[in-house]
Amino acid sequence: MSGRDLNLRGGWALVRRTWFSWMQHRGFFFLLAFSWMMPMLIYLFVWSQAAGGGAGGGAGGTIGGLTRSDLVTYYLVLILVNQLAFCTNNWTVGDGIRYGRMNFLLLRPMSPVYDALASEVAGKVVFMTFALPVTGVLALILRPELNVAWRDVGLFVPALALAWMLRFVWGYWLALLAFWATRADALLSLQESLIFLLAGQVAPPTLLPAPMQALATVLPFRYMLGFPVEVLLGQLDGAQLRAGFAFQTGWLAVAAALFVALWWAGTRRYTAVGG
Amino acid sequence: MNGTHIVVRDLSKTYRVPEREPGLAASLKGLVRRDYRDVEAVRGVSFTVEAGEIVGFIGPNGAGKTSTLKMLSGLLYPTAGESRVLGHVPWERRPGYLRRISMILGNKSQMVWDIPPLDTFHVLGEIYGVDPADLQRTLDELVELLEMQELLTKPVRNFSLGERMKCELVAGLLHRPDVLFLDEPTLGLDVSMQGRLRRFLAEYNQRNDVTVILTSHYMADVLALCPRVILIHHGQLLYDGDLGGLAERLAPFKLIRVTLRNGSPDGIPEGVDVIERENGRLTLRVGRAEAPALTAHLLDTLPVADLAVEDPPIEAVIDQIYQEGVA
Repeated sequence: MSGRDLNLRGGWALVRRTWFSWMQHRGFFFLLAFSWMMPMLIYLFVWSQAAGGGAGGGAGGTIGGLTRSDLVTYYLVLILVNQLAFCTNNWTVGDGIRYGRMNFLLLRPMSPVYDALASEVAGKVVFMTFALPVTGVLALILRPELNVAWRDVGLFVPALALAWMLRFVWGYWLALLAFWATRADALLSLQESLIFLLAGQVAPPTLLPAPMQALATVLPFRYMLGFPVEVLLGQLDGAQLRAGFAFQTGWLAVAAALFVALWWAGTRRYTAVGG
Repeated sequence: MNGTHIVVRDLSKTYRVPEREPGLAASLKGLVRRDYRDVEAVRGVSFTVEAGEIVGFIGPNGAGKTSTLKMLSGLLYPTAGESRVLGHVPWERRPGYLRRISMILGNKSQMVWDIPPLDTFHVLGEIYGVDPADLQRTLDELVELLEMQELLTKPVRNFSLGERMKCELVAGLLHRPDVLFLDEPTLGLDVSMQGRLRRFLAEYNQRNDVTVILTSHYMADVLALCPRVILIHHGQLLYDGDLGGLAERLAPFKLIRVTLRNGSPDGIPEGVDVIERENGRLTLRVGRAEAPALTAHLLDTLPVADLAVEDPPIEAVIDQIYQEGVA
């Protein structure tokens, strides 16, 4: 891999090109962002309805110690974190290998990872121009209470950055399996399902049954999405925070090692398509 | 730049491909156990290419041309053998090597369809670290040679195949590579666009002394551009030399075109291969050694109105080799 040649000039040019290209199709990307939001919007309304209480939250019952307002806050933050941590390139990298588009990336004097990173940076801007106003409007309507400590904000930033990195690198090594199996993208679907179940989308972690909570704690998926939200909302004590960051960085190291090994072996068996 | 640009020694590439018999039973068996077959795409190929040469790499479909080109460009790892291009081992894909080569694939595009080509060209300039002034100079030169000024600001999506190929050439040449691998660059283009691209490649090579390996199924490309050809068939190198020598070496026959006054083929000796007859005009295929004697015999014994002895057209030679192997 030519990653040893740090080509920031080329990388920034790729970001700009991806913006130019994506802004031609704003509507498509806004719809894509909306589709990522949908499951969480549904569960926001399901759980807040289940918790009951009057408009604006505060009063009414609780579920697992969470009020309606807590649940609305949790899901609105989760929606924004998901938009920031979601990685599209895990899918496109596999397609590039399967359909031979990887050829052009391998012929350039910079690592193909730059191409995926450029799409990530460009994508975040495009998706957030949609997600921020939508969640803003939802917040105005649902009026959640958000009390965030500065210490939690300080911990949230690295937790979010690590969540994105973990999801990116984890998805990338899964996508690299396309060097061996043509339909390795099925594993990406499995990953998305596990994120849905264990990373706090279907329910906040505290509402999960104990065995699932235990699984969520040790598997990597919670650290791709739910963990930063729990950090920001102050739901974790000191020991849980330390364990969470340890799991997050540990899984990131595992993903990075798998990525390097699969890249090394995969490019040696790459046969592209045709000819 | 002088010297040897490309050295290839005993290069081989074997693919392992899954296969199964047709039908439901074989399909179910494939769920449990897959059968694989080794396909030797390239078998012990060796050659060298000097700086500034244009070499035509020819052979039928599946001969191993593109696999060889992909190994030389660094896309594929060989199964065996070695190669140095510009002093580098291609499949190590070092940035210093990739900055000095370019590979243009006639059936694939590196242009981004939604934006004008000028945007893609500027991005490539940044990726390859080309000085902006040099980039502009190269761009002006290429745009002028390819007569494509009006295309620069339109989205690539709206281009014809020929217009897209012009863009591919510019994209591949912006960083002024020393070695250019061209895989079917005129594929699917109309006759006039093929001619224009050939003239461009010839002129670009003359101006810049770039080393070119070209694969093409259009013999007109090879005839117009390549003083030297390398013929590869079933993964093996069959011929490496000038185009004229290819016919002499691999198709050891001549064509005798004879027009008879009475139009009757009677009197043509037994065993001579008459490959065409039309309005009293016959085309005979004979071994090179027998051609003088047969010509004399025809002139002595038949009412000959016209007679010509020719080398077979290169297309016919290639076709014969593709279908029958080496004579």
